[in-house]
Amino acid sequence: MLLADSFTGCWLISKVCYSLKSMGSVLAASSPSPAPAAAGGSQGVSGLVSVPPGFSMPSVSSVPPTSGSGADADSTLPNPGTYEECHRKCKEVFPLQMDGVRLVVNKGLSNHFQVCHTVTLSTLGESGYRFGSTYVGSKQIGPAESFPVMVGDMDNTGSLNAQIIHQLTSTVRSKIAMQTQQHKFVNWQCDMECRGEDFTSAVTLGNPDVLVGSGILVGHYLQSITPALALGGELVYHNRPGEEGAVTSLLGRYTGDNYVATLTLGGAGAHATYYHKANDQLQIGVEFEASTRMQETSTSLGYQLDVPKANLLFKGTVDSNWMVGATLEKKLLPLPLTLALGALLNHRKNKFQCGFGVTIG
Amino acid sequence: MSGADGKKGPSTSVMEWIGTACRFATDRNDFRRNLLVNLGLFAAGVWVARNLSDFDLMSPQPIT
Repeated sequence: MLLADSFTGCWLISKVCYSLKSMGSVLAASSPSPAPAAAGGSQGVSGLVSVPPGFSMPSVSSVPPTSGSGADADSTLPNPGTYEECHRKCKEVFPLQMDGVRLVVNKGLSNHFQVCHTVTLSTLGESGYRFGSTYVGSKQIGPAESFPVMVGDMDNTGSLNAQIIHQLTSTVRSKIAMQTQQHKFVNWQCDMECRGEDFTSAVTLGNPDVLVGSGILVGHYLQSITPALALGGELVYHNRPGEEGAVTSLLGRYTGDNYVATLTLGGAGAHATYYHKANDQLQIGVEFEASTRMQETSTSLGYQLDVPKANLLFKGTVDSNWMVGATLEKKLLPLPLTLALGALLNHRKNKFQCGFGVTIG
Repeated sequence: MSGADGKKGPSTSVMEWIGTACRFATDRNDFRRNLLVNLGLFAAGVWVARNLSDFDLMSPQPIT
């Protein structure tokens, strides 16, 4: 969000990939937003895709795992996770905007293959049908991690979103993602991520075009300084005929017993998030954003109420732009149905939108 | 005369300062003002999250 407008295409891929990661989740299927959450599944960030039981998927953790023997003063520092996931824990508390009617049908065809059918009826966005599929390979790295992972999604106009994730070595992971608009390639990117014992580095190449001589290069680095503190930075370099530039930003994340505070500062602005887990039912997130380019600032407060005994998940948000929103997700057991209701009220612009969704499977 | 002018001087400057502060606080188009307001809201949100979220929904209801 801190990047210049000319990088929007590259970061659209990231947002599409995040939405692809939970194809089976109603809340995540409203594609504009990143950071999908597994619908009533296991804790926040486990797995790239919401999957039926017995289906193993790679898990990505945004909070560094606590080591079993952390008492020694000189114990090894944990891996800090990836740069993009630093703000994710707070972002996942906020409800996704829902508009119109959405029907999602998930079907696991085998332990490695899953398909998803999505029908969307919307007044604001486009209505249509999307077919998605996910393949998970048999190269098992950990208890819940298998590679390669191939995720594809196509709509009724022929526009395709696809990504392939593979673990090349024990520390190096690669991802290739592409997006087409009907027959035309809109975005394509490749990234390599290296996870060390106490650091993570990644390089992403977006929309490289050798003929025109343009492209976007993004570098990330995140280092654990202490078991609670991680510092990192991002460098974005873009080049196209007649224009060349770079944007840098710094990131700091502090993890407490039940909270995570993250701050990103860059030339384009600042982004601060605070995530607090009050108890097993209640999680609260506070987000602050300031853009020097757009000369705008905003603050949002969100909360998530999880009542597993009632199979209920409620998320609410209010922000400084006089917007109030909420989503309610309820599993209709014993049927494999999940019902989702969402509404958003913009008091300043006098606008209201609501949505309704059903997920089967 | 000069004494009256001297008394009016500090009070006038104070009034001007108050007027400037009020215009700054109510100018929604001012980026610095919006930044300070939102920073205050962020701090208030963090305080609320840390201090007012210690209730348990699953605790048994009190018997009345």
